[in-house]
Amino acid sequence: MMLLYKAWLESRARFLLGLLALAGLSAVFVLFNQDVRTVVTDHDMSYVEYIWRGIFKGQLRDIYVILTLLLGLGGLDRERSYGTAGHTLALPVSRWRLIAARGLTGIVETAVLAILPASLVPALSPFVHESYSWLLAFQFGALWTIGGTLIFAIGFLASVLVAGEYSAAVAALVFLFGYSITTDLPGMEHYLVDIHDVMNGSGPHDISTLAAISVTAAAMIWFGGLITSRKDY
Amino acid sequence: MWLKAWRESRMRFLATALSLSALCAVAVLSEPYIRQHQVPIALRLREGSYSEYIYNLIYSGMAKGLYALLVIFLGLGELQRERATRTAGFTLSLPVSRLRVVGTQVAVGTVELAALASVPAILIPALSAFLHRSYPLPIALHFSVLWFFGGMIIFAASFLLSVVTPGEYTAPVACYLALVLHTFVAAWHPLAGYRLNLMWVMGEFQTMRWNVAHTLLLPPPLSWLRMCVMACFALLLLSAAIRVTNKQDY
Repeated sequence: MMLLYKAWLESRARFLLGLLALAGLSAVFVLFNQDVRTVVTDHDMSYVEYIWRGIFKGQLRDIYVILTLLLGLGGLDRERSYGTAGHTLALPVSRWRLIAARGLTGIVETAVLAILPASLVPALSPFVHESYSWLLAFQFGALWTIGGTLIFAIGFLASVLVAGEYSAAVAALVFLFGYSITTDLPGMEHYLVDIHDVMNGSGPHDISTLAAISVTAAAMIWFGGLITSRKDY
Repeated sequence: MWLKAWRESRMRFLATALSLSALCAVAVLSEPYIRQHQVPIALRLREGSYSEYIYNLIYSGMAKGLYALLVIFLGLGELQRERATRTAGFTLSLPVSRLRVVGTQVAVGTVELAALASVPAILIPALSAFLHRSYPLPIALHFSVLWFFGGMIIFAASFLLSVVTPGEYTAPVACYLALVLHTFVAAWHPLAGYRLNLMWVMGEFQTMRWNVAHTLLLPPPLSWLRMCVMACFALLLLSAAIRVTNKQDY
């Protein structure tokens, strides 16, 4: 429990900033939908399409992706440069438990960030005399959670593989950009799942695809743990 | 001091320069392929001229986004990080003022920023020639100037936030959110006429026009007044950061 608390203390500033931003922007998108519509698109569309374009596919999803990537950073390598890795490693727990606590905390934070817009959109819509299906919103929440977990795992693995605090973040961002471009190339849909399309519901989102994404994310976190367990701090 | 500032930021700088170079190279060299196939990132790029393709993919597209994102990491202040790694004492014991320590970091960052903003201007006209295409150097340089001044504001904001926020990843998150939120503020009706959206300014969004033959997208003349205002704003943010650094207890 204390390890989870430690992981929470290390990531809470990033998480809370992200939470505030996503909550605020979700509210702005819904409550000021008439004004924001002109920013999202230049043609008429229904409220449901506007929410999809602005939140579940558009700007808010982009913010969520970057936030989850940055949530994955940190860990023992960062502590090594601070000179506190020794204190953490002296705790009577295995390195695997340290990794698991950080991974679990990050995944829970990722899920909370994903569920937030999915809860706020249907809850706030009646205030502007509109309605949005709770079921549909939570389906997007689930897709964001699974996609976000993979993106979190990319940040997590980068923080283990790349030395230097900000270098890991830069490497993770560059990898994500490279991946996003590669998945858009013709023919790549046979070999790579486009996580962005999965998250916005326009790509494949059957159970087997979602399971494959979850397994990939878990494997990346496990690989990060494996490297950490063998590293000399 | 210069060497120290360079060594501390070179990994981030080189990674950013390499990524931008790779993106520009891929965009130019795979242009026939991308335009022939139905590539989702470039659906709207299938029609239109080569200059429109370059503009939509580089100057108003992914490359601009990548540049803006990675500049955030270039701007993160070093003394704050050194405090966390407990090496700030060594740096501050050097026989130079804090102003010089921070000033050198800012100067090196500014030079790196100028180099990054020049990457597309060097690569795109040069690589276009390989495909028997041409992209005018003056237009490429026009965008380099915009990217440099726009990047300066992001760099300065990141530098200031890294001085005033705790934790090494809080500043980039805060800076990224500020970058996103300012676009919403800029779109607010009373402010919309002033074109305060930095990303719009860097990409000349909605201000590009066609030449007479409708073959080349041209930017409007560079507004040096706007560049001066942007530079002044960046300097204001940097001054605030230096002021806070001078008063901080390391």
